[in-house]
Amino acid sequence: MLYKKDLKFLLQEGLATGADFAEIFLEDTKSSVIRITSGEVTQIDRGNTFGAGVRLIKGIDEVYGYTNQVSVEDLKTLVFNLRASFQTEPVNKVKPFKKPQPIKSIITKPMDSVPVSEKASKLQHLSRIMKSHDPRIVQAMCQLIETEQKILVVNSEGVFQDDLRAHTRVFLSAVAQENGNMQQAYEGPGRSMGVEFLDTLDFEKLAKDVATSAITLLSAEDMVPQTMPVVLHNGFGGVIFHEACGHPLEATAVAKGLSPFAGKLGEKIGSDIVTAYDDGYVDGAWGSASFDDEGKPTQKNLLIENGILKGYLIDYRNARKMNMDPTGSARRQSYKFSPTSRMNTTYIAPGKDKFEDIIKDTPYGLFAKKLGGGTVVPATGEFNFAVQEGYMIENGKLTRPVRGAMLIGHGKDVLFKIDRVADNLELGQGMCGSISGSIPVDVGQPTIRVSSMTVGGAGGRK
Amino acid sequence: MYQQWIELGKKKGISDLEVFAVRNKSLSLSVYQGKLDSHVQSDVEQITLRGIYQGKLSTIRFENHAKQNVDHLLNKLIENASALTVVEPAIIFEGSPSYPEVKEERFDFSKIAVIQKIQLLQDLEKYILANEKVTQVQNASYQEVDTQTTLTNSKGLHLVKRNTYAYAYAIGVFKQGDDIKTAYDVKLVKDFNEFNAKAMADETIRQGLLKLGGRSIPTGSYPIVFSNEQFADLLSAFTSIFSGEASYRNLTALKDKVGQQVFGENIHLIDDPLHPQSHFKIPFDDEGVACQKRAVVEKGVFKGFNHNLKTAAIFKEQPTGNGFNGGISPTNLYLEPTSTSFDDLIKPIQDGVYITDLVGLHAGVKAVSGDFSLQASGLKIINGKLDHAVKMIVVSGNFFDMMKRVKGIASDLKFQLSGIGSPSVYIEHLMIGGEA
Repeated sequence: MLYKKDLKFLLQEGLATGADFAEIFLEDTKSSVIRITSGEVTQIDRGNTFGAGVRLIKGIDEVYGYTNQVSVEDLKTLVFNLRASFQTEPVNKVKPFKKPQPIKSIITKPMDSVPVSEKASKLQHLSRIMKSHDPRIVQAMCQLIETEQKILVVNSEGVFQDDLRAHTRVFLSAVAQENGNMQQAYEGPGRSMGVEFLDTLDFEKLAKDVATSAITLLSAEDMVPQTMPVVLHNGFGGVIFHEACGHPLEATAVAKGLSPFAGKLGEKIGSDIVTAYDDGYVDGAWGSASFDDEGKPTQKNLLIENGILKGYLIDYRNARKMNMDPTGSARRQSYKFSPTSRMNTTYIAPGKDKFEDIIKDTPYGLFAKKLGGGTVVPATGEFNFAVQEGYMIENGKLTRPVRGAMLIGHGKDVLFKIDRVADNLELGQGMCGSISGSIPVDVGQPTIRVSSMTVGGAGGRK
Repeated sequence: MYQQWIELGKKKGISDLEVFAVRNKSLSLSVYQGKLDSHVQSDVEQITLRGIYQGKLSTIRFENHAKQNVDHLLNKLIENASALTVVEPAIIFEGSPSYPEVKEERFDFSKIAVIQKIQLLQDLEKYILANEKVTQVQNASYQEVDTQTTLTNSKGLHLVKRNTYAYAYAIGVFKQGDDIKTAYDVKLVKDFNEFNAKAMADETIRQGLLKLGGRSIPTGSYPIVFSNEQFADLLSAFTSIFSGEASYRNLTALKDKVGQQVFGENIHLIDDPLHPQSHFKIPFDDEGVACQKRAVVEKGVFKGFNHNLKTAAIFKEQPTGNGFNGGISPTNLYLEPTSTSFDDLIKPIQDGVYITDLVGLHAGVKAVSGDFSLQASGLKIINGKLDHAVKMIVVSGNFFDMMKRVKGIASDLKFQLSGIGSPSVYIEHLMIGGEA
């Protein structure tokens, strides 16, 4: 058991050799995965992540250590090991702890308040809906992933902030098979909520949609590689912005000048119809948190306004490097990672177009209805992302389904090529992996059109 | 302590219990512009308990060893096991007749001073920066890991293995005109003295320079050669097709194909826990089953699925020692090399592409259908020789189809850190998406 005085003592010890900032991050997270396969409850795993991370900073130099031996003595040893990196007289004292601010998110049904068997039977029902949708569905899988992360961040600047973050996600996946052709479709909605999430969405409809999508893929043609206009649908379509622009706007890339957007504040980086935000707190959203992992309240950050670059995502240490203010964007997967600038809920703001009009006004192109994941190399700006469900647009109408399409491009080009933005903003959920680990994020956008993209695929002449 | 947990479980009605404990100590350093940029040290013990309650098996993982927490989690294990509706074999293993011996000297990385490790990174950064095309080194990183794994169960099995290694790399940023490329080369060692900053820098520079000046190529079907590293990565994205669990769950196209010709006759895939070139030698899996060398595919014929205890029992076969991390995965799976040199491999190709980089393997690969579509870059092959750099292309195909159309395999077997190994591989043709 650690008391306030112990934490203060440890921070003081951390400053004793010249570090000007000390921080302790304590975490106790419980997690559960319930898996349904072929209508049966096949696996239930329970997890617990527990430990402490200690960070000392001097100027812009940082040392970090973590352990799950969290007695005062063990942590003192860790602090002593870390502070050996600095060897000057102390320059700072620990400021008195401030009163913690209230947590905004409210969990109405914590994960352990609902019996596991009750949760499992809800999922079994969804699995059966998918399986019975069509005889060609050979497998229907559901997963319920729940976590409750309890944290406390204290630092030598007087921050003393706790937070409780619940995340609940449902994965639905259907596999369809016909004549040796196997196709898989999936959906994975999630929220910063407890078990009450199961009461918020029409999961039965979603289960039917997933099964329908797998069946559609059976008859889809391989995408023929070509350069063409691409209409990216709302929701998870926002992964394009996340990969191509969001990551390069993180201070981790900007501070080292590795981003194509470094030093471009106030400059035009996209077409006039592009405005984008990263919002640290959207009520109930998967990527939200009341506080970031440095204990700072999260905030809504304007990134791009009418094509002009307005801001970056900045954590405490990079704020020092960049001589700018932190933006409440410091995140980490767990105590095993030092926090750094990351996204929360990142989206392109709604425009004026109607979805139907965008399709109607496209003589030929690809409609990417659902996207899979993607990657970006910040230094080069090159990105790729997979189309999970796509349709050809011919003469302003959606025609044949296509599969296996992969979109590639350059972050700095694609923003200029957005020529239509609809009014139907939606968010989509994902896990984002980067240097401070894997964290829940929302991506989002209304339906947009990119005037020209390179699209790969296995179709065409062999 | 572990025996106490087993006893506590027994009292609660958990008939068999296994404690799988991993103690992981690590040190990570990174250098940026000659200065230490990050310094992370850790000491974490993670416990996985697998317990059987009323014939059903459930798992809990935790990091807080306080007695109260363990007591609470054992109750959760009982609740979870009770909620399982499926009837499947639940096995805690009594042990294999014998275990392979891993003959490796254990090097104590902690006896090397931190300053020496920082020096390695500073040298690596300096040597890479010395190249005029390099604008900066994004990150020079070092990590050392010391992992001790202990498996103790109520059947009396007690096994211990230990793994120590370190690796280092630096990401060079190369620039020529408007063209920016990054390159790195990860070196993993079992002895600190194996690091050679100059050699690592030279390899990084060689790779970076090859990528510069790249351009896209016209969309079309081309003969493709994957580098050894890239083919191994592609292979690793498809290892689930060999899993007994995937077969049982209808999630692999290889279901019901044991004994059949599934790939070309020139394809031999072998899983070898002790392969001398592999990075990690593995004596037993996470369920205490001895690992073994096994042909997964021989002359293109599928020889059988990888099994853990559960799927082996379901299929009435012997466990293959592939039960890892709650699922099934290979140990060191590799495509058997031939005696063909790389130069001879590409010699017959008039107009093809040599792929040295694949991006987005987590998104562009569908193991169930076999379809893949991946951002790639590499070099053009013209008249049997490597030519100019190629970038911003997408290579697409179907894995099952591709493995029937392997035209050539080289001698240059290399294992990736994932445990998957491959030589360079020549595919008859695949679709490339590039310029209009």
